[in-house]
Amino acid sequence: MHDANELTSAEEDDYYSGGDDDIDYGDAQEDYNYEYGYGNDDDDDDDDDNGDYDFMHNDSDADEVSASRAQKNYTVLKEEDIRKIQGEDIMRISNVLSISREAACILLRRYNWNVNDVHEQWFADEGRVRKSVGLFEKPVVQFLNAKEVTCGICFDNYSHELVHSAACGHAFCDSCWKAYVSTSINDGPGCLTLRCPSPSCGAAIGQDMIDMLASDEDKEKYRHYLLRSFVEDSRKTKWCPAPGCDYAIKYVVGSGNYDVTCSCSYSFCWNCTEEAHRPVDCETVAKWILKNSAESENMNWILANSKPCPKCKRPIEKNQGCMHMTCTPPCKFEFCWLCLGAWIDHGERTGGFYACNRYESAKQEGVYDDTEKRREMAKNSLERYTHYYERWASNQLSRQKALADLQQMQSVHLEKLSKVQSQPKSQMKFIIEAWQQIVECRRVLKWTYAYGYYLPEYEPTKQQFFEYLQGEAETGLERLHQCAEKELQNYLNAEGQSKDFNDFRTKLAGLTSVTRNYFENLVRALENGLSDVDSQGASSKATSSIAGSSKGKGGRGM
Amino acid sequence: MTSCSSSARKASLSKIASNRLQKELMEWQVNPPVGFKHKVTDNLQRWVIEVNGAPGTLYAGETYQLQVDFPEHYPMEAPQVIFIPPAPLHPHIYSNGHICLDILYDSWSPAMTVSSICISILSMLSSSPEKQRPADNDRYVKNCRNGRSPKETRWWFHDDKA
Ligand SMILES: [Zn+2]
Ligand SMILES: [Zn+2]
Ligand SMILES: [Zn+2]
Ligand SMILES: [Zn+2]
Ligand SMILES: [Zn+2]
Ligand SMILES: [Zn+2]
Repeated sequence: MHDANELTSAEEDDYYSGGDDDIDYGDAQEDYNYEYGYGNDDDDDDDDDNGDYDFMHNDSDADEVSASRAQKNYTVLKEEDIRKIQGEDIMRISNVLSISREAACILLRRYNWNVNDVHEQWFADEGRVRKSVGLFEKPVVQFLNAKEVTCGICFDNYSHELVHSAACGHAFCDSCWKAYVSTSINDGPGCLTLRCPSPSCGAAIGQDMIDMLASDEDKEKYRHYLLRSFVEDSRKTKWCPAPGCDYAIKYVVGSGNYDVTCSCSYSFCWNCTEEAHRPVDCETVAKWILKNSAESENMNWILANSKPCPKCKRPIEKNQGCMHMTCTPPCKFEFCWLCLGAWIDHGERTGGFYACNRYESAKQEGVYDDTEKRREMAKNSLERYTHYYERWASNQLSRQKALADLQQMQSVHLEKLSKVQSQPKSQMKFIIEAWQQIVECRRVLKWTYAYGYYLPEYEPTKQQFFEYLQGEAETGLERLHQCAEKELQNYLNAEGQSKDFNDFRTKLAGLTSVTRNYFENLVRALENGLSDVDSQGASSKATSSIAGSSKGKGGRGM
Repeated sequence: MTSCSSSARKASLSKIASNRLQKELMEWQVNPPVGFKHKVTDNLQRWVIEVNGAPGTLYAGETYQLQVDFPEHYPMEAPQVIFIPPAPLHPHIYSNGHICLDILYDSWSPAMTVSSICISILSMLSSSPEKQRPADNDRYVKNCRNGRSPKETRWWFHDDKA
């Protein structure tokens, strides 16, 4: 028994060979940022000869870096993989317990595909386990020497060769068995625990009987239920919740970080299966989603995609990802989508030139509206919620837009850019990386607004520090987004090769790297509950610990 | 077909179903379950069965009527079994005649028969310690007002064997 258990866990550890990579991960990442931060435009042109930068720009290595970024505490499984693992588990139980594969399958299903549980239960009390799943060792009824047997369903008589029975010996004719099996399979996944039709017999009907009695179509359904059961009943696996995706994720239970990214590119939280939501915890996400649905009627107006221009009052539509809006000519008023304030005012006061996060200060200064009535409403909790919700939803929209832009970039623009700038497409990877980073940052930023909403109001130092960090993050991201969205246009629409294209590359790659670094530190700091902040406003110390790596290594402060 | 009764909206019995019912009917005539009387009609798809409360139980001397409707794919599918009101006062029998008994729904097996159903129902009646309606009777009956079949109910069965 002990051998069996050890065998299993050893093999399972083996399966997740990423286990001790966690230790190296931090270092590798530091190196990564370091190298990238100092990247110069020359190394892109001849990356084959440049040893130092090689690992950054070589496709497969870059993939490895991004995989180790995910800490490898999960595996994405295709249908073949699932079947393979399932088959291996069944084989293992069949061998160790010396029972048929069908019986092993029934046992595994009973114990939610947990190999260890099957071993433990079986060796603790084989008789009880057999009884509970209906695995009979010998028939409970014997055929008498009568010539014919009566089918227990249609009550017609048949000769012995024409009836079948499970291990119990209860005989039913071929067509009754077929109808029984077919009815059960078409009733749903309950067919996986099918028992002998004889009342209170309970003998299990295994896959061997199904294979003998079911139509090809029903056999396929049965196999599908078996596959689903393997994923859905096991504590270690879940389907990817993205619509139309057939992959499953196998997760190392108890390994911390819940964010997983499926091969279909959808990122979700393994624990609650909501969309990935680091740095916010699952309970907060659940609360926030509930809150949103409760407030959804009030919030409908917010989601509307058009607002009047604050200057000329013509309705304008937001169709770009960043918050910096420019009204159509002749007005050309530049303003902020979030607060509708002039863009020119967005500087130190709003938490950075590109940022607009300072709800508290805006509220105090009455930027939203200068009437007394409005000022009173600012005290209202809905107003507070609205502030966070609007920014949460805006980032969500921006993220979707960025995702679409990323796809557009990959499918159309890259080709064009490579032609216009007469550089190979392989040299344009920095643009894709920038957009991937934008998508990820929009996701994080979005969730920081749920985080901010639930920050306790009695901890003003934390709140201030949080808003400062969020503002920095927003500034960095807006700058990156602006660069990848608007500055890129110049090179995309250029007549021919631009002299400063390589400078653009350096700038965008640098911004990507610095932003990535900043956001990773931000996520960690928020997940730690901003524990660096003590009650006496020691935010400067904490600030340096967060911003430190990006400034020190990348040489570009945000 | 000729009748406009409630059975007209149901598909008629498959050949397998009517063969099997003929056999059950024959067996019933030879060997009826104690306490039950089948009022034979020419309608094989609906049986009306008289139930007599077992002597020495709360229902002794009382008579009720069971209505058994067979689906097209009987016995693969369970028959619909209800008491024709007035239904006996019992913690698992609703005033509209619906019966909370697992073998009529999830635990049905094609190897069961009308006769075995009758025996189960009688044993359910006989073992009752008190004559009363289920606690959720009014709510349930209200929900069934549009002639809903008990087979459409998601039952969860009490394990108390009352
Ligand atoms: Zn048969
Ligand atoms: Zn049996
Ligand atoms: Zn997926
Ligand atoms: Zn979660
Ligand atoms: Zn305007
Ligand atoms: Zn603003």
